[in-house]
Amino acid sequence: MRSPSSPTAGRDLRAGVVFVFPCLALLAVFSYWPVVRSAWLSVHGSDLVGNATGFLGLSNYADLLTDPDLRSVLLTTLTIAALVVVMATGGALLAALPLRRASQRGGRVVTVLLSLPFAYSAAAASAAFAGLLAPSVGQLNALLADLGVTGPPWLESQGWAVLSIAVTTAWYEFGFAFLVVLAALSRVDRSVLEAASLDGAGEWRSAWSIVVPAIRPSLLFLVVTQTIAGLQVFTQVQVLTRGGPSGATTTLVYELYQRAFGTGLPQYGQASTIALTLLLLVVLVTAVQMRLTRDRA
Amino acid sequence: MTAPARRRPAPALRVGSALRWTWIALVVAVVVFPVWVTVATAVSPPGRTGLAAMFPAPGDLTLDNVRTALAGFPLVRQFGVSVMVTALQTTAQVVLAAAAAYALVFPTWRGRTVAFVLILGTLAIPGESSVIPNFQLVSSLGLRNTVLGIVLPFLAVGYPVFLLRQAFGQLPREVWEAARLDGASHLRCLTRVVLPMAAPQVVTAALWCALAAWNGYFWPLLITDTPEQRTVQVGLAQLAAGESTTPAVVYAGTLVVLLPTLLLVLVGQRFLVRGLATRAR
Repeated sequence: MRSPSSPTAGRDLRAGVVFVFPCLALLAVFSYWPVVRSAWLSVHGSDLVGNATGFLGLSNYADLLTDPDLRSVLLTTLTIAALVVVMATGGALLAALPLRRASQRGGRVVTVLLSLPFAYSAAAASAAFAGLLAPSVGQLNALLADLGVTGPPWLESQGWAVLSIAVTTAWYEFGFAFLVVLAALSRVDRSVLEAASLDGAGEWRSAWSIVVPAIRPSLLFLVVTQTIAGLQVFTQVQVLTRGGPSGATTTLVYELYQRAFGTGLPQYGQASTIALTLLLLVVLVTAVQMRLTRDRA
Repeated sequence: MTAPARRRPAPALRVGSALRWTWIALVVAVVVFPVWVTVATAVSPPGRTGLAAMFPAPGDLTLDNVRTALAGFPLVRQFGVSVMVTALQTTAQVVLAAAAAYALVFPTWRGRTVAFVLILGTLAIPGESSVIPNFQLVSSLGLRNTVLGIVLPFLAVGYPVFLLRQAFGQLPREVWEAARLDGASHLRCLTRVVLPMAAPQVVTAALWCALAAWNGYFWPLLITDTPEQRTVQVGLAQLAAGESTTPAVVYAGTLVVLLPTLLLVLVGQRFLVRGLATRAR
Protein backbone atom coordinates (compact mmCIF):
# COMPACT_ATOMS: atom_id res chain seq x y z
CA MET A 1 0.00 0.00 0.00
CA ARG A 2 1.47 3.35 -0.95
CA SER A 3 1.48 6.12 1.62
CA PRO A 4 -0.21 9.36 0.47
CA SER A 5 3.20 11.09 0.55
CA SER A 6 4.79 8.70 -1.97
CA PRO A 7 5.76 10.23 -5.31
CA THR A 8 2.97 8.39 -7.17
CA ALA A 9 0.17 9.63 -4.87
CA GLY A 10 -0.61 12.59 -7.13
CA ARG A 11 -0.86 10.36 -10.18
CA ASP A 12 -3.06 7.91 -8.28
CA LEU A 13 -5.44 10.73 -7.38
CA ARG A 14 -5.71 11.72 -11.01
CA ALA A 15 -6.29 8.12 -12.13
CA GLY A 16 -8.88 7.55 -9.42
CA VAL A 17 -10.84 10.66 -10.31
CA VAL A 18 -10.65 10.04 -14.08
CA PHE A 19 -11.84 6.44 -13.80
CA VAL A 20 -14.64 7.09 -11.34
CA PHE A 21 -15.85 10.35 -12.87
CA PRO A 22 -18.04 9.02 -15.73
CA CYS A 23 -19.91 6.75 -13.35
CA LEU A 24 -20.38 9.43 -10.69
CA ALA A 25 -21.37 12.10 -13.21
CA LEU A 26 -24.11 9.87 -14.67
CA LEU A 27 -25.33 9.01 -11.17
CA ALA A 28 -25.44 12.69 -10.30
CA VAL A 29 -27.49 13.55 -13.40
CA PHE A 30 -29.88 10.58 -13.50
CA SER A 31 -30.13 9.50 -9.83
CA TYR A 32 -29.34 12.36 -7.44
CA TRP A 33 -30.55 15.35 -9.44
CA PRO A 34 -34.00 13.77 -10.07
CA VAL A 35 -34.47 13.41 -6.31
CA VAL A 36 -33.74 17.11 -5.79
CA ARG A 37 -35.91 18.09 -8.74
CA SER A 38 -38.80 15.85 -7.60
CA ALA A 39 -38.62 17.30 -4.11
CA TRP A 40 -38.88 20.78 -5.64
CA LEU A 41 -41.77 19.79 -7.93
CA SER A 42 -43.61 18.15 -5.04
CA VAL A 43 -43.89 21.39 -3.07
CA HIS A 44 -45.13 23.39 -6.07
CA GLY A 45 -48.34 23.43 -8.02
CA SER A 46 -48.31 22.56 -11.72
CA ASP A 47 -49.90 24.25 -14.71
CA LEU A 48 -51.73 22.70 -17.66
CA VAL A 49 -48.58 21.35 -19.34
CA GLY A 50 -47.00 20.22 -16.10
CA ASN A 51 -44.65 23.12 -15.39
CA ALA A 52 -44.22 24.14 -11.77
CA THR A 53 -46.26 27.14 -10.54
CA GLY A 54 -46.63 28.61 -7.06
CA PHE A 55 -45.15 27.28 -3.86
CA LEU A 56 -47.55 24.96 -2.06
CA GLY A 57 -45.56 23.79 0.92
CA LEU A 58 -46.37 20.34 2.14
CA SER A 59 -50.01 20.31 1.07
CA ASN A 60 -49.40 17.60 -1.55
CA TYR A 61 -48.00 15.42 1.21
CA ALA A 62 -50.93 16.20 3.48
CA ASP A 63 -53.24 15.07 0.65
CA LEU A 64 -51.52 11.70 0.68
CA LEU A 65 -52.68 11.15 4.23
CA THR A 66 -56.07 12.86 4.12
CA ASP A 67 -57.40 12.17 0.61
CA PRO A 68 -59.27 8.85 0.93
CA ASP A 69 -58.30 7.79 -2.62
CA LEU A 70 -54.60 8.38 -2.04
CA ARG A 71 -54.76 6.78 1.36
CA SER A 72 -56.24 3.68 -0.20
CA VAL A 73 -53.44 3.69 -2.85
CA LEU A 74 -50.89 3.66 -0.04
CA LEU A 75 -52.76 0.91 1.81
CA THR A 76 -53.14 -1.23 -1.34
CA THR A 77 -49.42 -0.93 -2.08
CA LEU A 78 -48.43 -1.93 1.45
CA THR A 79 -50.91 -4.84 1.41
CA ILE A 80 -49.51 -6.14 -1.89
CA ALA A 81 -45.92 -5.73 -0.63
CA ALA A 82 -46.73 -7.68 2.55
CA LEU A 83 -48.47 -10.47 0.61
CA VAL A 84 -45.55 -10.70 -1.83
CA VAL A 85 -42.98 -11.00 0.98
CA VAL A 86 -44.96 -13.71 2.76
CA MET A 87 -45.72 -15.73 -0.36
CA ALA A 88 -42.36 -15.43 -2.15
CA THR A 89 -39.97 -15.74 0.81
CA GLY A 90 -42.16 -18.19 2.73
CA GLY A 91 -42.72 -20.22 -0.43
CA ALA A 92 -39.01 -20.29 -1.22
CA LEU A 93 -38.24 -21.53 2.28
CA LEU A 94 -40.93 -24.23 2.13
CA ALA A 95 -39.69 -25.34 -1.29
CA ALA A 96 -35.95 -25.30 -0.56
CA LEU A 97 -35.89 -26.81 2.94
CA PRO A 98 -37.07 -30.32 1.92
CA LEU A 99 -34.55 -30.29 -0.95
CA ARG A 100 -31.76 -30.08 1.60
CA ARG A 101 -32.08 -33.84 2.06
CA ALA A 102 -33.24 -34.81 -1.45
CA SER A 103 -31.06 -36.98 -3.66
CA GLN A 104 -28.63 -35.15 -5.88
CA ARG A 105 -30.04 -35.86 -9.33
CA GLY A 106 -33.68 -35.41 -8.36
CA GLY A 107 -32.74 -32.29 -6.49
CA ARG A 108 -31.05 -30.79 -9.52
CA VAL A 109 -34.07 -31.31 -11.82
CA VAL A 110 -36.37 -29.82 -9.20
CA THR A 111 -34.00 -26.87 -8.77
CA VAL A 112 -34.13 -26.04 -12.48
CA LEU A 113 -37.93 -26.38 -12.56
CA LEU A 114 -38.43 -24.18 -9.51
CA SER A 115 -36.10 -21.47 -10.82
CA LEU A 116 -38.07 -21.13 -14.08
CA PRO A 117 -40.18 -18.17 -12.86
CA PHE A 118 -36.92 -16.24 -12.54
CA ALA A 119 -36.76 -16.18 -16.35
CA TYR A 120 -40.03 -14.18 -16.47
CA SER A 121 -39.95 -10.41 -16.60
CA ALA A 122 -42.76 -8.44 -14.99
CA ALA A 123 -44.32 -8.09 -18.47
CA ALA A 124 -43.98 -11.79 -19.31
CA ALA A 125 -45.40 -12.86 -15.93
CA SER A 126 -48.26 -10.37 -16.33
CA ALA A 127 -48.99 -11.70 -19.82
CA ALA A 128 -48.92 -15.30 -18.57
CA PHE A 129 -51.28 -14.50 -15.72
CA ALA A 130 -53.49 -12.39 -17.99
CA GLY A 131 -53.98 -15.51 -20.10
CA LEU A 132 -54.75 -17.48 -16.95
CA LEU A 133 -57.04 -15.02 -15.18
CA ALA A 134 -58.69 -12.92 -17.91
CA PRO A 135 -62.46 -12.56 -17.48
CA SER A 136 -64.47 -15.12 -19.50
CA VAL A 137 -61.50 -16.38 -21.61
CA GLY A 138 -59.00 -17.11 -18.81
CA GLN A 139 -57.38 -20.53 -19.00
CA LEU A 140 -57.53 -21.16 -15.27
CA ASN A 141 -61.30 -20.93 -14.98
CA ALA A 142 -61.70 -22.85 -18.26
CA LEU A 143 -59.60 -25.59 -16.70
CA LEU A 144 -61.59 -25.48 -13.45
CA ALA A 145 -64.82 -25.65 -15.47
CA ASP A 146 -63.54 -28.79 -17.20
CA LEU A 147 -63.05 -30.22 -13.72
CA GLY A 148 -66.57 -29.18 -12.71
CA VAL A 149 -65.58 -26.24 -10.51
CA THR A 150 -66.69 -22.62 -10.94
CA GLY A 151 -63.62 -20.41 -10.50
CA PRO A 152 -63.72 -17.07 -8.69
CA PRO A 153 -63.84 -13.69 -10.51
CA TRP A 154 -60.05 -13.28 -10.34
CA LEU A 155 -59.80 -9.76 -11.71
CA GLU A 156 -63.36 -8.47 -11.35
CA SER A 157 -63.85 -8.53 -7.60
CA GLN A 158 -61.81 -6.12 -5.47
CA GLY A 159 -60.41 -8.66 -3.02
CA TRP A 160 -59.59 -11.27 -5.66
CA ALA A 161 -57.96 -8.64 -7.88
CA VAL A 162 -55.57 -7.51 -5.11
CA LEU A 163 -54.73 -11.15 -4.43
CA SER A 164 -54.21 -11.85 -8.16
CA ILE A 165 -51.74 -8.95 -8.46
CA ALA A 166 -49.89 -10.17 -5.36
CA VAL A 167 -49.79 -13.77 -6.59
CA THR A 168 -48.48 -12.74 -10.03
CA THR A 169 -45.73 -10.69 -8.38
CA ALA A 170 -44.90 -13.34 -5.79
CA TRP A 171 -44.77 -16.02 -8.48
CA TYR A 172 -42.04 -14.39 -10.52
CA GLU A 173 -40.21 -13.19 -7.41
CA PHE A 174 -40.30 -16.78 -6.14
CA GLY A 175 -37.71 -17.99 -8.67
CA PHE A 176 -35.13 -15.51 -7.38
CA ALA A 177 -36.02 -16.11 -3.72
CA PHE A 178 -35.74 -19.86 -4.19
CA LEU A 179 -32.24 -19.57 -5.69
CA VAL A 180 -31.12 -17.29 -2.84
CA VAL A 181 -32.45 -19.63 -0.15
CA LEU A 182 -30.91 -22.64 -1.86
CA ALA A 183 -27.51 -20.95 -2.16
CA ALA A 184 -27.70 -19.97 1.52
CA LEU A 185 -28.65 -23.50 2.57
CA SER A 186 -25.67 -24.97 0.73
CA ARG A 187 -23.40 -22.80 2.90
CA VAL A 188 -24.84 -23.98 6.23
CA ASP A 189 -22.26 -25.98 8.12
CA ARG A 190 -23.21 -29.63 7.76
CA SER A 191 -21.66 -30.68 11.06
CA VAL A 192 -24.09 -28.40 12.87
CA LEU A 193 -27.00 -30.16 11.21
CA GLU A 194 -25.64 -33.60 11.97
CA ALA A 195 -25.06 -32.70 15.59
CA ALA A 196 -28.68 -31.61 15.76
CA SER A 197 -30.02 -34.89 14.38
CA LEU A 198 -27.84 -36.88 16.80
CA ASP A 199 -29.41 -34.98 19.66
CA GLY A 200 -32.73 -36.33 18.43
CA ALA A 201 -34.01 -33.04 17.10
CA GLY A 202 -36.83 -33.75 14.65
CA GLU A 203 -36.66 -32.71 11.02
CA TRP A 204 -38.87 -29.65 11.39
CA ARG A 205 -37.42 -28.66 14.70
CA SER A 206 -33.90 -28.69 13.29
CA ALA A 207 -35.11 -26.75 10.28
CA TRP A 208 -36.72 -24.04 12.36
CA SER A 209 -34.29 -23.79 15.21
CA ILE A 210 -31.00 -24.33 13.37
CA VAL A 211 -31.30 -23.87 9.62
CA VAL A 212 -33.50 -20.78 9.57
CA PRO A 213 -31.32 -18.81 12.02
CA ALA A 214 -28.23 -19.91 10.08
CA ILE A 215 -29.56 -18.40 6.84
CA ARG A 216 -31.07 -15.36 8.56
CA PRO A 217 -28.93 -12.82 6.60
CA SER A 218 -30.23 -14.21 3.29
CA LEU A 219 -33.81 -14.23 4.54
CA LEU A 220 -33.46 -10.64 5.70
CA PHE A 221 -32.07 -9.72 2.28
CA LEU A 222 -35.06 -11.40 0.61
CA VAL A 223 -37.61 -9.71 2.85
CA VAL A 224 -36.03 -6.35 2.01
CA THR A 225 -35.74 -6.85 -1.76
CA GLN A 226 -39.24 -8.32 -1.95
CA THR A 227 -40.73 -5.49 0.09
CA ILE A 228 -39.08 -3.04 -2.29
CA ALA A 229 -40.32 -5.01 -5.32
CA GLY A 230 -43.82 -4.99 -3.80
CA LEU A 231 -43.70 -1.23 -3.33
CA GLN A 232 -42.74 -0.80 -7.01
CA VAL A 233 -45.51 -2.96 -8.51
CA PHE A 234 -46.70 -1.46 -11.78
CA THR A 235 -46.61 -3.70 -14.86
CA GLN A 236 -48.92 -6.31 -13.35
CA VAL A 237 -51.48 -3.63 -12.50
CA GLN A 238 -51.31 -2.04 -15.93
CA VAL A 239 -51.72 -5.35 -17.77
CA LEU A 240 -54.13 -7.21 -15.48
CA THR A 241 -56.50 -4.68 -13.91
CA ARG A 242 -55.63 -1.10 -14.94
CA GLY A 243 -55.93 -0.23 -11.29
CA GLY A 244 -59.51 -1.50 -10.98
CA PRO A 245 -62.06 -2.68 -10.15
CA SER A 246 -62.98 0.78 -8.77
CA GLY A 247 -59.37 1.60 -7.91
CA ALA A 248 -58.89 -1.47 -5.70
CA THR A 249 -55.53 -2.38 -7.26
CA THR A 250 -54.15 1.13 -7.87
CA THR A 251 -50.62 1.10 -6.45
CA LEU A 252 -48.24 4.00 -5.80
CA VAL A 253 -46.36 3.64 -9.10
CA TYR A 254 -49.59 3.15 -11.08
CA GLU A 255 -51.02 6.31 -9.51
CA LEU A 256 -47.77 8.15 -10.30
CA TYR A 257 -48.04 6.96 -13.90
CA GLN A 258 -51.68 8.02 -14.17
CA ARG A 259 -50.99 11.49 -12.81
CA ALA A 260 -47.80 12.22 -14.73
CA PHE A 261 -48.23 10.25 -17.96
CA GLY A 262 -51.90 9.20 -18.02
CA THR A 263 -54.58 10.33 -20.42
CA GLY A 264 -55.43 13.42 -18.35
CA LEU A 265 -53.43 16.62 -17.97
CA PRO A 266 -50.04 15.99 -16.35
CA GLN A 267 -49.96 16.68 -12.61
CA TYR A 268 -46.24 16.63 -12.01
CA GLY A 269 -46.56 18.14 -8.53
CA GLN A 270 -48.74 15.40 -7.08
CA ALA A 271 -46.94 12.71 -9.09
CA SER A 272 -43.61 13.90 -7.67
CA THR A 273 -45.07 13.70 -4.17
CA ILE A 274 -45.87 10.05 -4.84
CA ALA A 275 -42.36 9.51 -6.26
CA LEU A 276 -40.76 10.95 -3.14
CA THR A 277 -43.04 8.92 -0.90
CA LEU A 278 -41.90 5.78 -2.73
CA LEU A 279 -38.29 6.88 -2.33
CA LEU A 280 -38.77 7.50 1.41
CA LEU A 281 -40.36 4.08 1.89
CA VAL A 282 -37.50 2.35 0.03
CA VAL A 283 -34.84 4.29 1.95
CA LEU A 284 -36.62 3.42 5.20
CA VAL A 285 -36.69 -0.30 4.36
CA THR A 286 -33.01 -0.18 3.33
CA ALA A 287 -32.06 1.66 6.55
CA VAL A 288 -33.84 -0.97 8.64
CA GLN A 289 -31.94 -3.67 6.74
CA MET A 290 -28.58 -1.96 7.34
CA ARG A 291 -29.41 -1.49 11.01
CA LEU A 292 -30.34 -5.15 11.47
CA THR A 293 -27.27 -6.35 9.53
CA ARG A 294 -25.00 -4.18 11.64
CA ASP A 295 -26.54 -5.33 14.92
CA ARG A 296 -25.76 -8.89 13.96
CA ALA A 297 -22.14 -8.25 13.15
CA MET B 1 -27.24 -28.79 -3.71
CA THR B 2 -24.80 -31.44 -2.63
CA ALA B 3 -26.66 -34.16 -0.78
CA PRO B 4 -24.84 -35.64 2.16
CA ALA B 5 -23.45 -39.16 1.82
CA ARG B 6 -26.29 -41.03 3.46
CA ARG B 7 -26.47 -44.25 5.39
CA ARG B 8 -29.23 -46.69 4.44
CA PRO B 9 -32.37 -44.90 5.60
CA ALA B 10 -34.37 -46.25 8.53
CA PRO B 11 -38.04 -47.08 7.78
CA ALA B 12 -39.22 -43.94 9.56
CA LEU B 13 -36.99 -41.93 7.29
CA ARG B 14 -38.46 -43.61 4.21
CA VAL B 15 -41.93 -42.49 5.20
CA GLY B 16 -40.39 -39.08 5.72
CA SER B 17 -38.82 -39.31 2.28
CA ALA B 18 -42.15 -40.22 0.62
CA LEU B 19 -43.81 -37.31 2.36
CA ARG B 20 -41.00 -35.02 1.32
CA TRP B 21 -41.24 -35.98 -2.34
CA THR B 22 -45.03 -35.61 -2.30
CA TRP B 23 -44.56 -32.11 -0.94
CA ILE B 24 -41.84 -31.30 -3.48
CA ALA B 25 -44.03 -32.61 -6.32
CA LEU B 26 -46.88 -30.38 -5.14
CA VAL B 27 -44.65 -27.31 -4.99
CA VAL B 28 -43.25 -28.06 -8.46
CA ALA B 29 -46.77 -28.49 -9.86
CA VAL B 30 -47.92 -25.12 -8.52
CA VAL B 31 -44.78 -23.22 -9.56
CA VAL B 32 -44.45 -24.78 -13.02
CA PHE B 33 -48.17 -24.54 -13.85
CA PRO B 34 -48.01 -21.04 -15.42
CA VAL B 35 -44.91 -22.04 -17.41
CA TRP B 36 -46.60 -25.22 -18.63
CA VAL B 37 -49.73 -23.31 -19.63
CA THR B 38 -47.59 -20.71 -21.45
CA VAL B 39 -45.84 -23.32 -23.56
CA ALA B 40 -48.72 -25.80 -24.04
CA THR B 41 -51.31 -23.19 -25.02
CA ALA B 42 -48.88 -21.38 -27.30
CA VAL B 43 -48.27 -24.50 -29.41
CA SER B 44 -51.85 -25.84 -29.29
CA PRO B 45 -54.22 -25.31 -32.23
CA PRO B 46 -55.94 -21.88 -31.96
CA GLY B 47 -59.22 -21.86 -30.08
CA ARG B 48 -58.40 -24.65 -27.66
CA THR B 49 -59.06 -23.91 -23.99
CA GLY B 50 -59.05 -25.68 -20.65
CA LEU B 51 -57.81 -29.26 -20.41
CA ALA B 52 -57.56 -29.64 -24.19
CA ALA B 53 -55.02 -26.81 -24.37
CA MET B 54 -53.09 -28.12 -21.37
CA PHE B 55 -52.30 -31.45 -22.96
CA PRO B 56 -52.13 -31.15 -26.75
CA ALA B 57 -51.47 -34.40 -28.63
CA PRO B 58 -48.00 -34.42 -30.24
CA GLY B 59 -49.61 -34.48 -33.71
CA ASP B 60 -51.61 -31.31 -32.95
CA LEU B 61 -48.60 -29.12 -32.17
CA THR B 62 -48.60 -26.01 -34.34
CA LEU B 63 -46.98 -22.60 -34.56
CA ASP B 64 -50.22 -20.89 -35.69
CA ASN B 65 -50.52 -18.87 -32.47
CA VAL B 66 -46.89 -17.79 -32.69
CA ARG B 67 -47.51 -16.62 -36.27
CA THR B 68 -50.58 -14.64 -35.24
CA ALA B 69 -48.67 -13.01 -32.37
CA LEU B 70 -45.77 -12.08 -34.65
CA ALA B 71 -48.09 -10.76 -37.35
CA GLY B 72 -50.54 -8.82 -35.18
CA PHE B 73 -47.93 -6.78 -33.38
CA PRO B 74 -44.51 -5.67 -34.61
CA LEU B 75 -42.94 -8.13 -32.17
CA VAL B 76 -40.08 -9.00 -34.51
CA ARG B 77 -39.18 -5.35 -34.93
CA GLN B 78 -39.54 -4.81 -31.15
CA PHE B 79 -37.35 -7.83 -30.53
CA GLY B 80 -34.68 -6.04 -32.55
CA VAL B 81 -35.08 -2.87 -30.48
CA SER B 82 -34.71 -4.92 -27.29
CA VAL B 83 -31.58 -6.62 -28.60
CA MET B 84 -30.04 -3.22 -29.41
CA VAL B 85 -31.04 -1.77 -26.04
CA THR B 86 -29.67 -4.81 -24.19
CA ALA B 87 -26.37 -4.85 -26.10
CA LEU B 88 -25.77 -1.10 -25.74
CA GLN B 89 -26.90 -0.84 -22.12
CA THR B 90 -24.96 -3.91 -20.93
CA THR B 91 -21.74 -2.90 -22.68
CA ALA B 92 -21.89 0.66 -21.39
CA GLN B 93 -22.79 -0.37 -17.85
CA VAL B 94 -19.98 -2.94 -17.62
CA VAL B 95 -17.39 -0.51 -19.03
CA LEU B 96 -18.46 2.29 -16.66
CA ALA B 97 -18.67 -0.07 -13.68
CA ALA B 98 -15.30 -1.71 -14.39
CA ALA B 99 -13.58 1.68 -14.58
CA ALA B 100 -15.25 2.90 -11.39
CA ALA B 101 -14.57 -0.32 -9.49
CA TYR B 102 -10.92 -0.17 -10.59
CA ALA B 103 -10.62 3.37 -9.25
CA LEU B 104 -12.22 2.31 -5.97
CA VAL B 105 -9.93 -0.68 -5.41
CA PHE B 106 -6.43 -0.15 -6.84
CA PRO B 107 -5.19 3.45 -6.88
CA THR B 108 -4.98 4.95 -3.39
CA TRP B 109 -6.44 8.45 -3.42
CA ARG B 110 -8.26 10.87 -1.16
CA GLY B 111 -12.00 10.80 -1.70
CA ARG B 112 -12.14 7.14 -2.60
CA THR B 113 -14.44 6.31 0.31
CA VAL B 114 -16.71 9.27 -0.40
CA ALA B 115 -17.00 8.19 -4.03
CA PHE B 116 -17.93 4.67 -2.96
CA VAL B 117 -20.57 5.88 -0.50
CA LEU B 118 -22.08 8.11 -3.21
CA ILE B 119 -22.28 5.14 -5.59
CA LEU B 120 -23.62 2.79 -2.92
CA GLY B 121 -26.26 5.34 -1.91
CA THR B 122 -27.93 5.18 -5.32
CA LEU B 123 -28.84 1.54 -4.67
CA ALA B 124 -31.56 2.86 -2.37
CA ILE B 125 -33.08 5.16 -5.04
CA PRO B 126 -35.83 3.33 -6.93
CA GLY B 127 -35.83 4.15 -10.66
CA GLU B 128 -39.58 4.80 -10.57
CA SER B 129 -39.12 7.79 -8.28
CA SER B 130 -36.80 9.49 -10.80
CA VAL B 131 -38.91 9.13 -13.95
CA ILE B 132 -40.46 12.60 -14.07
CA PRO B 133 -37.21 14.64 -14.05
CA ASN B 134 -35.54 12.05 -16.28
CA PHE B 135 -38.47 12.21 -18.71
CA GLN B 136 -38.19 15.99 -18.88
CA LEU B 137 -34.41 15.83 -19.34
CA VAL B 138 -34.35 13.10 -21.99
CA SER B 139 -37.24 14.79 -23.84
CA SER B 140 -35.38 18.11 -23.83
CA LEU B 141 -32.36 16.36 -25.34
CA GLY B 142 -34.63 15.26 -28.19
CA LEU B 143 -34.09 11.60 -27.41
CA ARG B 144 -37.69 10.51 -26.94
CA ASN B 145 -38.62 7.45 -28.94
CA THR B 146 -34.98 6.48 -29.54
CA VAL B 147 -32.83 3.57 -28.40
CA LEU B 148 -30.39 6.03 -26.83
CA GLY B 149 -33.25 7.62 -24.88
CA ILE B 150 -34.25 4.22 -23.50
CA VAL B 151 -30.66 3.43 -22.46
CA LEU B 152 -29.41 6.79 -21.15
CA PRO B 153 -30.84 6.92 -17.58
CA PHE B 154 -29.80 3.31 -17.03
CA LEU B 155 -26.16 4.27 -17.47
CA ALA B 156 -26.42 5.69 -13.96
CA VAL B 157 -26.00 2.42 -12.18
CA GLY B 158 -24.61 1.31 -8.84
CA TYR B 159 -25.06 -2.43 -8.58
CA PRO B 160 -22.41 -3.65 -11.06
CA VAL B 161 -19.90 -1.23 -9.51
CA PHE B 162 -20.64 -2.79 -6.16
CA LEU B 163 -20.33 -6.31 -7.62
CA LEU B 164 -17.05 -5.62 -9.45
CA ARG B 165 -15.54 -3.71 -6.54
CA GLN B 166 -16.00 -6.79 -4.42
CA ALA B 167 -14.50 -9.02 -7.14
CA PHE B 168 -11.50 -6.74 -7.71
CA GLY B 169 -10.89 -6.51 -3.98
CA GLN B 170 -10.30 -10.24 -3.81
CA LEU B 171 -7.57 -10.18 -6.48
CA PRO B 172 -3.90 -10.34 -5.40
CA ARG B 173 -2.77 -6.73 -5.16
CA GLU B 174 0.88 -7.69 -5.81
CA VAL B 175 0.10 -8.55 -9.43
CA TRP B 176 -1.29 -5.07 -10.00
CA GLU B 177 1.64 -3.45 -8.19
CA ALA B 178 4.11 -5.44 -10.30
CA ALA B 179 2.36 -4.32 -13.49
CA ARG B 180 2.49 -0.70 -12.32
CA LEU B 181 6.20 -0.95 -11.48
CA ASP B 182 6.74 -2.33 -14.98
CA GLY B 183 5.32 0.96 -16.19
CA ALA B 184 1.87 -0.23 -17.32
CA SER B 185 -0.71 2.55 -17.50
CA HIS B 186 -3.87 2.34 -15.41
CA LEU B 187 -5.94 1.63 -18.52
CA ARG B 188 -3.60 -1.20 -19.45
CA CYS B 189 -3.67 -2.54 -15.88
CA LEU B 190 -7.46 -2.62 -16.00
CA THR B 191 -7.84 -4.25 -19.41
CA ARG B 192 -4.83 -6.58 -19.41
CA VAL B 193 -4.38 -7.49 -15.73
CA VAL B 194 -7.50 -6.91 -13.65
CA LEU B 195 -10.31 -7.81 -16.06
CA PRO B 196 -8.82 -11.15 -17.21
CA MET B 197 -8.25 -12.20 -13.61
CA ALA B 198 -11.82 -11.31 -12.61
CA ALA B 199 -13.38 -12.70 -15.81
CA PRO B 200 -16.02 -14.94 -14.11
CA GLN B 201 -17.29 -12.05 -11.98
CA VAL B 202 -17.31 -9.74 -15.00
CA VAL B 203 -19.50 -12.29 -16.80
CA THR B 204 -21.78 -12.39 -13.77
CA ALA B 205 -22.07 -8.60 -13.74
CA ALA B 206 -22.72 -8.53 -17.50
CA LEU B 207 -25.45 -11.18 -17.22
CA TRP B 208 -27.20 -9.27 -14.44
CA CYS B 209 -27.01 -6.08 -16.49
CA ALA B 210 -28.32 -7.88 -19.58
CA LEU B 211 -31.19 -9.44 -17.65
CA ALA B 212 -32.23 -6.06 -16.25
CA ALA B 213 -31.90 -4.39 -19.67
CA TRP B 214 -33.95 -7.03 -21.47
CA ASN B 215 -36.64 -7.05 -18.76
CA GLY B 216 -36.98 -3.26 -18.35
CA TYR B 217 -40.53 -1.98 -18.61
CA PHE B 218 -41.56 1.25 -16.89
CA TRP B 219 -39.01 3.64 -18.40
CA PRO B 220 -39.10 2.17 -21.95
CA LEU B 221 -42.90 2.47 -21.81
CA LEU B 222 -42.72 6.17 -20.89
CA ILE B 223 -40.02 7.28 -23.28
CA THR B 224 -41.29 5.57 -26.46
CA ASP B 225 -44.40 6.55 -28.38
CA THR B 226 -44.65 4.47 -31.55
CA PRO B 227 -45.04 0.68 -31.71
CA GLU B 228 -41.92 0.41 -33.92
CA GLN B 229 -39.68 2.00 -31.29
CA ARG B 230 -41.00 0.08 -28.31
CA THR B 231 -39.13 -2.73 -26.61
CA VAL B 232 -40.47 -6.25 -26.78
CA GLN B 233 -41.58 -6.13 -23.10
CA VAL B 234 -43.79 -3.12 -23.75
CA GLY B 235 -45.06 -4.75 -26.94
CA LEU B 236 -45.95 -7.91 -25.06
CA ALA B 237 -47.79 -6.02 -22.32
CA GLN B 238 -49.84 -4.22 -24.96
CA LEU B 239 -50.55 -7.51 -26.69
CA ALA B 240 -51.72 -8.96 -23.35
CA ALA B 241 -53.82 -5.93 -22.45
CA GLY B 242 -55.47 -5.85 -25.88
CA GLU B 243 -59.18 -6.67 -25.66
CA SER B 244 -59.27 -8.73 -28.81
CA THR B 245 -56.21 -10.96 -28.35
CA THR B 246 -56.94 -14.52 -27.30
CA PRO B 247 -54.94 -16.11 -24.45
CA ALA B 248 -53.33 -18.50 -26.96
CA VAL B 249 -51.83 -15.58 -28.90
CA VAL B 250 -50.78 -13.84 -25.67
CA TYR B 251 -48.99 -17.03 -24.64
CA ALA B 252 -47.30 -17.32 -28.01
CA GLY B 253 -46.01 -13.75 -27.60
CA THR B 254 -44.89 -14.51 -24.04
CA LEU B 255 -42.94 -17.50 -25.30
CA VAL B 256 -41.09 -15.37 -27.86
CA VAL B 257 -40.17 -12.71 -25.26
CA LEU B 258 -39.24 -15.36 -22.72
CA LEU B 259 -36.86 -17.44 -24.85
CA PRO B 260 -33.65 -15.42 -24.31
CA THR B 261 -34.06 -15.16 -20.53
CA LEU B 262 -35.16 -18.79 -20.31
CA LEU B 263 -31.92 -19.79 -22.03
CA LEU B 264 -29.99 -17.52 -19.68
CA VAL B 265 -31.56 -19.08 -16.58
CA LEU B 266 -31.00 -22.62 -17.87
CA VAL B 267 -27.45 -22.14 -19.19
CA GLY B 268 -26.09 -19.26 -17.12
CA GLN B 269 -27.55 -20.18 -13.75
CA ARG B 270 -24.08 -20.80 -12.29
CA PHE B 271 -23.11 -17.20 -13.00
CA LEU B 272 -26.38 -15.70 -11.85
CA VAL B 273 -26.24 -17.54 -8.53
CA ARG B 274 -22.75 -16.17 -7.94
CA GLY B 275 -24.13 -12.66 -8.34
CA LEU B 276 -27.01 -13.14 -5.97
CA ALA B 277 -24.79 -14.78 -3.36
CA THR B 278 -22.69 -11.61 -3.38
CA ARG B 279 -25.80 -9.51 -3.05
CA ALA B 280 -27.16 -11.54 -0.16
CA ARG B 281 -24.08 -11.09 1.98
